[in-house]
Amino acid sequence: MSVQTFTTATSVDDAVAAVAAGARPVAGGTDLVVGARSGKSTMPESVVAIHRVAELHGVESLADGGLRLGALASHAEIAASDDVRSRFTALSDASAIVGSHATRAQGTVGGNLMNASPAMETGGPLVCLGATVTLRSPSGTRSVAVEDLWTGPGKTSAAADELLVGVEIPAPPAGTGSAYLRLEYRRQMEIAVVGASAAVTVADGLVTDARVAMTALSATIRRIPEAEAALIGSDGGSAAIESAGAAVAAASTPISDVRGSADYRRAMAAVIARRAIDQALSRARGENA
Amino acid sequence: MATVEKPRAFIRPDGKEKVTGTGRYTADLVLAGELVAKFRYADHTHARITRIDTTRARALPGVLAVVTHEDVPDVLYGGMVQDRRLFAKDTVRFEGDIVAGVAATTAEIAEQAAALIEVDYEPLPVVTDFEAALADDATLVHPTWESYEGDEALGRHENTLGYSTIVKGDADAALASADVVVKGRYVTDPVQGVPIEPRAVIAQWQGDKLTVWTSTQVPYAARAGVATTLQIPESNVRIVVPLLGGGFGAKCDFHFEGHVAALAKAARRPVKLVFSRREEFFAVGHRREGMVLEFETGARADGTLVARKARLVLDKGAYCGEGGFFAQMAAMHALGPYELENVHIESSLVYSNNQPSSSIRAPTAPQVCWALEQHMDELAVALGMDPVDLRRKTIVETGSVTATGQVLENIAMRETLEKAVEMIGYGQELPEDEAIGVAVGWWPCFASKSGAYVKLNPDGSGTIITGAQENGTGSVMAMPTYVAAELGMQPEDFSMLYQDTDAAPWDMGSCGSQTTFNSGRAVIAAAVDLRDQLLDAAAEKLEASRDDLELTGGSILVKGSPDKSVSIADLAGEGTFHGKSEDVVPDGPEAPAEGCVGRLGLESFHAPQLIAHAVRVRVDRGTGVARVLEVAAAHDCGKILNRIGADGQVYGGVVMGIGQALSEGTQLDAEGRHRNAHLTDYKLVTASDAPRIDVAWIETDTPGAGPKGSKGVGEPPCVPTAGAVANAIAKVIGARVHKLPMTPERVWEAGA
Repeated sequence: MSVQTFTTATSVDDAVAAVAAGARPVAGGTDLVVGARSGKSTMPESVVAIHRVAELHGVESLADGGLRLGALASHAEIAASDDVRSRFTALSDASAIVGSHATRAQGTVGGNLMNASPAMETGGPLVCLGATVTLRSPSGTRSVAVEDLWTGPGKTSAAADELLVGVEIPAPPAGTGSAYLRLEYRRQMEIAVVGASAAVTVADGLVTDARVAMTALSATIRRIPEAEAALIGSDGGSAAIESAGAAVAAASTPISDVRGSADYRRAMAAVIARRAIDQALSRARGENA
Repeated sequence: MATVEKPRAFIRPDGKEKVTGTGRYTADLVLAGELVAKFRYADHTHARITRIDTTRARALPGVLAVVTHEDVPDVLYGGMVQDRRLFAKDTVRFEGDIVAGVAATTAEIAEQAAALIEVDYEPLPVVTDFEAALADDATLVHPTWESYEGDEALGRHENTLGYSTIVKGDADAALASADVVVKGRYVTDPVQGVPIEPRAVIAQWQGDKLTVWTSTQVPYAARAGVATTLQIPESNVRIVVPLLGGGFGAKCDFHFEGHVAALAKAARRPVKLVFSRREEFFAVGHRREGMVLEFETGARADGTLVARKARLVLDKGAYCGEGGFFAQMAAMHALGPYELENVHIESSLVYSNNQPSSSIRAPTAPQVCWALEQHMDELAVALGMDPVDLRRKTIVETGSVTATGQVLENIAMRETLEKAVEMIGYGQELPEDEAIGVAVGWWPCFASKSGAYVKLNPDGSGTIITGAQENGTGSVMAMPTYVAAELGMQPEDFSMLYQDTDAAPWDMGSCGSQTTFNSGRAVIAAAVDLRDQLLDAAAEKLEASRDDLELTGGSILVKGSPDKSVSIADLAGEGTFHGKSEDVVPDGPEAPAEGCVGRLGLESFHAPQLIAHAVRVRVDRGTGVARVLEVAAAHDCGKILNRIGADGQVYGGVVMGIGQALSEGTQLDAEGRHRNAHLTDYKLVTASDAPRIDVAWIETDTPGAGPKGSKGVGEPPCVPTAGAVANAIAKVIGARVHKLPMTPERVWEAGA
């Protein structure tokens, strides 16, 4: 099947109307087109290009200390933002290593989230940073926590007539540091085999809050409450990090495939989680950028 | 000889069009009325075909031709063994065997039609474990192997396509009395060439005459293949190669030109085939073979190698192609560039139902070298010697006699080793997660006939007509440089006509590191002939003796009388100057190779190239991820005629070697089907992963060398890289990785 209808939206209303009428939105095209070319999926009958909708662009620091990302914010744009790098560092880590230079220039955060791959880079950091997405349909707008967006590989809780228009991240509490780390066999064109995100808040030498999420280790990216519990109230020392890493490994349900065996993935889940947590803690303590 | 001014300023003439996207590759050509070709591949990796029915495919609107074995001559073809048909007749033997071809007005229709062809099979036991294929009771991949035409020296028997031994002295007795003996078993995964341009073929008939535009490294072999399989005179076939987007060996040999020509004939329209990336992986009968390698080496306490035994098993896959010589080539690499008192090497090239293997850049060498060089480091550990000192003690040098009896003359093995360890700073203090590994290797030159013309155009420019192909290896840069040097002109003064079998004399093509060695020899000879013609004409015009003339700066002048001169452009306008080569192929060295079987001519290495790589590697001990940080590559490739091009070959070869070492491997399922036939999970090394690479050339004057003392350059750079990386990894983790590629998981399993 090839594309029968292709329209270009110039406003959010146009875009939402087209989506509600059954069109698939396309912005960077890094998943839609690549997936169709490789035979993973077919091109939809109807496509609406949304890349010209000005309101969907932008990386904006909000007055309340939060951050708003337009659905069309590219990975390259996010990675280049000083504010993202200094306060939402895990997202900066992730955006900087999505695919290749070309993918980052072309691919968008909205597309990344809605593609719902359990191996996506930006998902774990946004979960840990408590981000919500704004979904818009002809009948209105609603907010959904990022961690509630995915229901399975490639599946979301968005209704068929909803378009993701933006992502909001609340201001992180003082003393927060975050990090995303991926096991990578090479430096570009890599897909996460194991990934881990952590956002931790440290006050008076104690961990007061912790969020830990794992990537590519289960059907969706999700938080690991046992790992968070191991950190909260601790001094963030090696024993706490060790047990948080073990909790991530225990919670993972990895598969064996051409990218690695389940045993290796489970072992790496602990290693990568420990490193991500350690990095987040260092950043929370202001030990490195 | 005149010197070339500003050699570094010469920009290869195909560079700009390639990097700006204006260059035209085969897939970019469009012929009026052309159809799209698609293949119906085997539905089983080993099965008897009981019925092929193309009725429904033929009935589909938009389909102009469907071709099966019934529509082409019943011809078996193949390099050293003729064991394959264009279209499978009674049996399919691997995933990419072609049962039928379709030509239709669109790709979608062609694909649909290919799926509509009904094929019934009786599945046969699948032979994927190529080591088990050697067993007496193994299923035969080719039950009628005895009826095939093939080279007698291969020693074919049942699933064994080639068998070769190297025997010297009594290895068993020597091992029994050795001070130290080490043993090792190593296994390698198959590897792909992965040209960035997936191959494309367009065929067009005009009466009995056929023109094929094709992305091949070897147009003359493609021409012969078309003529053989379609039973037409070679003179009716013209092969044209538009810009070629890499090959790395995978585009050597005759592949799909015959299929497309048969479709074009049946459809009475031009037909174009363009491979998908997936097809470029699984359907090409041409990859680097998997191997099982067992080594046993005995040494005296001082390091002297008293004996080596080796057993090598190589996966040939389903068909021979041009890779029939692999058993002997691998055996030679199991010797390596070492002095060995006693030897017993046994090498088997075995049929299986896996993808066929054939020459990929330095075929067989990187895998054997990876295993042998690890084995040598293990021996060093057992002897309590530094691995570099062990090599200093045991490598060949000028005057050494190899195990087959070849006397090595004017080689610089020792100098390359010393240079590589010097460049990397061997022995320096390193962080505990880093180490330096060293490996050495060798590779022969391949002498072949070649021919060329060089003509001058009336405007004073020149045209080089050669069969040398441009596979990315820089012949378009080298040939004008060589010719300009002979004629005192600039490389920019020359264009090249090199892509057309109807224009240039026969040439081996871009393979076997032979472009400078053979094509370069012919081009230089043609330039010398042209030079003689110009000197004769100038001598007459200037009324001077030929001996007093010199060519420089685009003019011919009388030495000592700068005002007495004539420009080459002026002469060119007055005459028809065209030089042609008179080819003298250099003789190869003799090697008695007594007691060795499976002798195909590789028992001596013609003008051998010697290589030493030293690499610094960091291993993440938590994950097993290894990164190559620095490579020092020292090569004896004879005299270097084109430094920019030669350096480029090392950069590319080393990066390819790193890919082989760490990430590149085809994974097969239990039936021999590709599991990672795409660039997401067949992991090439990216530019971001490439380390600093320092190159040194040790220039020797080896007998039997190519023009001006040159040897080959293209293949050797990927030979010892993986072995050096392996040795560095082992030093960091204190354990050996016995499988190639040494993926993070394998390094981690080994004990990172």
